[in-house]
Amino acid sequence: MHFLATSIESLGAKLAGWFTVGYALFAFLGRAALLLLEPSTWNRATFDVVIKQVYFTAVQILPVFLAYVLVISWLIITIILSTARDFGLTEFASEMAIRVLVLELLPFLTALFIALRSGSAINTEVALMQVNNELDALVHCKVPPMQFEFMPRLVGGVVSVVTLAGLAGLLALIVGYLAIYGVGTAGFEPYTRTVSNIINFNIMAGLIAKCALFGLAVTLIPVTAGLETPKKLFMVPVSVLRGMMRVFFAIVTIEVVSLALKYI
Amino acid sequence: MADAIAALADDVARVSLDLPLRANLSALDNIALIPLYQRHFDAAESARQAQTMLDELGHAEIALLRDSDMTPAQRFVTKLARACMLKRPRLVIDRPGAMLYDVPYPAFIAHLASQAAISGTWEIYDFSWNQALYQA
Repeated sequence: MHFLATSIESLGAKLAGWFTVGYALFAFLGRAALLLLEPSTWNRATFDVVIKQVYFTAVQILPVFLAYVLVISWLIITIILSTARDFGLTEFASEMAIRVLVLELLPFLTALFIALRSGSAINTEVALMQVNNELDALVHCKVPPMQFEFMPRLVGGVVSVVTLAGLAGLLALIVGYLAIYGVGTAGFEPYTRTVSNIINFNIMAGLIAKCALFGLAVTLIPVTAGLETPKKLFMVPVSVLRGMMRVFFAIVTIEVVSLALKYI
Repeated sequence: MADAIAALADDVARVSLDLPLRANLSALDNIALIPLYQRHFDAAESARQAQTMLDELGHAEIALLRDSDMTPAQRFVTKLARACMLKRPRLVIDRPGAMLYDVPYPAFIAHLASQAAISGTWEIYDFSWNQALYQA
């Protein structure tokens, strides 16, 4: 009986904890969204910070990211082509490659890439700001932390993931063409027809929405996890650990829901 | 004393150990945040005003230093410049001994106050046992 009561208590505490985290997350998102809609938010200072965020999140990593996309795309396309040849399904190879790479794998890997590089950095920085009272100092100086520190990171994350996933998709399409048809224009017409058949307006809108959600997840969750940090320095690694686990689950959930909506 | 400081009115600019600088910004950027966000000047004009403030305090050379690269005295000057930039009628220096442990601080603060062309009153909140330092 005691065991049962303890288990129920523990489950209840966990559920209450998840609810609190979820509520804090959506409340923060709501505040950020309201701020985004205010015309006064979009002054030169905020715009400059957004540009800086996009630079640090997307532009700075571009060479490494594109090299990584090139290698992954080449490998996956080669595997798909060779498997399709083995089963006599060569005519479906380009469609399979585009669906797997451009619509699913590359946006997912882009989100993971940004989460590991920028999400963890954001989580650590916000946690340290929280622990060191830097946010209190900003409030004392009447510099709004939401406008100066957080909202630009959210916007930067969304813009970065959407554009990097777009670039990755474009690169994968080029690699796919070269792998299937070689250097020449003979396959251009059937290849572009296949691409346009797959990537219609609905799929494109869904892809952009998914990437935007990925971008939001890899920035919003680290920010809120950082803000939850108790004012103790030794809690910073715990905050980053929690934040990154939540980011991982959020990315996987977005991907699973997107797959379910598309294929089930 | 910490509670009394925390309860100070909104029109008080504070220089305190509890109100640190933004660690990833230079001294200049920390000060420039005030004109940039409160008075909506552009980045260049905000940086110019911040540099002028540092010049007035006689520490122009610390403009590009970040918090971790500053001595305690340089950090104090940056916090003071940030507080002065707020242009509030009262400026409270909260427990200066906790921030200025590398210089004889009453004399250091008096020297800064004599250099800066700043309006308003400066108040120092310190422990009673440090009173002798100010009378020296």
